[in-house]
Amino acid sequence: MSAAPAIEARALAKRFGTNRAVDALDFAVQAGELYGLVGPDGAGKTTTLRLLAGLVTADGGEVHLQGQPTGKRSAAVREAIGYMPQQYSLYGDLSIEENLSFFGKLFGLNRADYRERERRLLEVTRLGPFRDRRADALSGGMYKKLALACALLHRPRVLLLDEPTNGVDPVSRRELWDLLYEFVHDGMAVVLATPYMDEASRCHRVGLLHHGRKIAEGEPAALVRNFPHSTFAIEAADRDAALAMLQQRPEVIALSPQGAGLRVVVSGAEHAAFTSWAALVGGLQLAAVAPDFEDVFLGLEALADASSGVA
Amino acid sequence: MLVELMALVKKELQQTFADKRIVAVLVVLPVIQIIVLGFAVHLEVDNVPTLVADEDHTPQSREFVAGLLAGDAFTRVGALPHGEDALGALQRGEASLVAVIPPGFAQHLTRGEPAAVQFLVDGTDSNRAIVAQNAAVSYAIGQSLQQMRARVAALAQQRGQPVALHTLRVEPRVLYNPQLVSALFYVPGVAASLLFIVTFIITAMGLAREKETGTLEQILVTPLTSATLILGKTLPYAGIGLVVLGLVVAAGAWIFGVPVRGSLLLIFGAGALYLLAVLGSGLLVSAAVQNQQQALMMGFFLLLPALLLSGFMTPVENMPAWLQPLTMLNPVRHFVEIMRAVLLKSATAADVASQLLALALLGLAMFGAASWVVRRRLA
Repeated sequence: MSAAPAIEARALAKRFGTNRAVDALDFAVQAGELYGLVGPDGAGKTTTLRLLAGLVTADGGEVHLQGQPTGKRSAAVREAIGYMPQQYSLYGDLSIEENLSFFGKLFGLNRADYRERERRLLEVTRLGPFRDRRADALSGGMYKKLALACALLHRPRVLLLDEPTNGVDPVSRRELWDLLYEFVHDGMAVVLATPYMDEASRCHRVGLLHHGRKIAEGEPAALVRNFPHSTFAIEAADRDAALAMLQQRPEVIALSPQGAGLRVVVSGAEHAAFTSWAALVGGLQLAAVAPDFEDVFLGLEALADASSGVA
Repeated sequence: MLVELMALVKKELQQTFADKRIVAVLVVLPVIQIIVLGFAVHLEVDNVPTLVADEDHTPQSREFVAGLLAGDAFTRVGALPHGEDALGALQRGEASLVAVIPPGFAQHLTRGEPAAVQFLVDGTDSNRAIVAQNAAVSYAIGQSLQQMRARVAALAQQRGQPVALHTLRVEPRVLYNPQLVSALFYVPGVAASLLFIVTFIITAMGLAREKETGTLEQILVTPLTSATLILGKTLPYAGIGLVVLGLVVAAGAWIFGVPVRGSLLLIFGAGALYLLAVLGSGLLVSAAVQNQQQALMMGFFLLLPALLLSGFMTPVENMPAWLQPLTMLNPVRHFVEIMRAVLLKSATAADVASQLLALALLGLAMFGAASWVVRRRLA
């Protein structure tokens, strides 16, 4: 890659007490790229975004913007970055227009610029007709769109989104994604935190986060393609008994319920051992299936747990 | 900087006035409180419920009792047949004072012998007890003096030549509040404490609310400087505080006749310095707490000592010696002194220079500390 990344985390670390929320985290996002920070609750996604936004001081490592290191609350960070927190962050008792105008002034926009951008943002978010409505009277989707608009007022080069579709209905969700793709297409770098695998698979690249560490990174499709383990869909007459048995098997990496049956990730090296064991036990209907992104994530997470848990 | 500041101030005012409850707390409540406190809090002690145990049953003893009850100080609530019943009556709260006149009172007086009278005072309300005791004792001294004069006059007639009786004549003249109306003492103090309550608690809750609702996050990713944030969070309330000060002084003047003898400009100037200190401490609290509830609790926790150690209820001089210097750190104390001095004694800036200086120093210190903490903890 020739150009410096739009934003880059280098050995980023943050501790809260004894809990390592973010641990030696490295990743870089180019302009025009949509990068997903994927992990369950507590994996360190929000802390990572807050570190990138300069809201908390890192215990170690650096954030680089366009190749330049940044400090906490530095002017460069605030000019370059738009941040949309997961929780409510706008003034519920102010209207859409009052919220926009307030943040426009805090970003130091002049009147003409502000008018133009407000018009454009209300248009793309289709919030125009509701401009006088109080923010706390908006639906989940409209609220998120307003928050997005507030984060975009100063035309940031990097947009940080913390679970942007949390509490948003499917239609608004698709609208939000369409908007995101538009911005990315125009050259914005987007870092998006999400616990949802379907959303993760829509990112250009993802970093899988587990206990503050990056356990895998790459294009979602490539991660699935290169996954060295096997996935089985298992049907059993007695699912609880099957579950208990499978939990004992050393070949089983990850195990999750799927419909009336179970879905297991089995170590690739022990694929044969597992199928012969299953045949011997009987009562289990095994079907080898192509792993999907969720299997990959669950598998990698379980492997990371296993290696750190023993140590 | 100015645009951002104006945006913040506008937003604070919008939010404040959009919430009718806050408006009520800010403007209506202080005026109501000053009226309630002004009427309810009385330092004057009169109509002390009094029981009389006259065991002498003579015209002289009846005359003595009638004189005692003649003024506003004591109100007769009944009579006791025997002096021994007095303790029981006080115990049951039937009276705050019992006057016991033992048998032989008149006889002793006519013979020119010392005559004893007993006053039993309920000391549970110390202020009332002291005032009642003083009134009773000074009445008794007056009566003794009358007896002496009568005896001296009789003696002069006997000797056929005048006998001089030289006594000290005390003529107290009370300045600034000649009727000793307690409202005049209280209202300026109430004004100072109300201003403290209103601005301190609202400011303490201000930043806490932004933390609680998550809006602080969004503000902190903008290029806003912490100085602008602090000013934006305090200027609107300083303005509201000065309006409240005006309302309270006006209410005091119209309703209680609290005079405005000194300069209003000085009142508001001192008010501004006072607000600097109060808003600074409010900001300090709000930077330290996590949510509005904590801010409110912390506010009330600090409120009580700030008011009690201000001399607004009881004089600072009555506090223990080790505590008195500490009250110098209390902005309420200085502002109460300024308010009383300027309103009642038409004090000039030079008269209250030390208090003004103290407020300015406290204000700068509090505000400086608040800025430092906000800068460190948030920005």
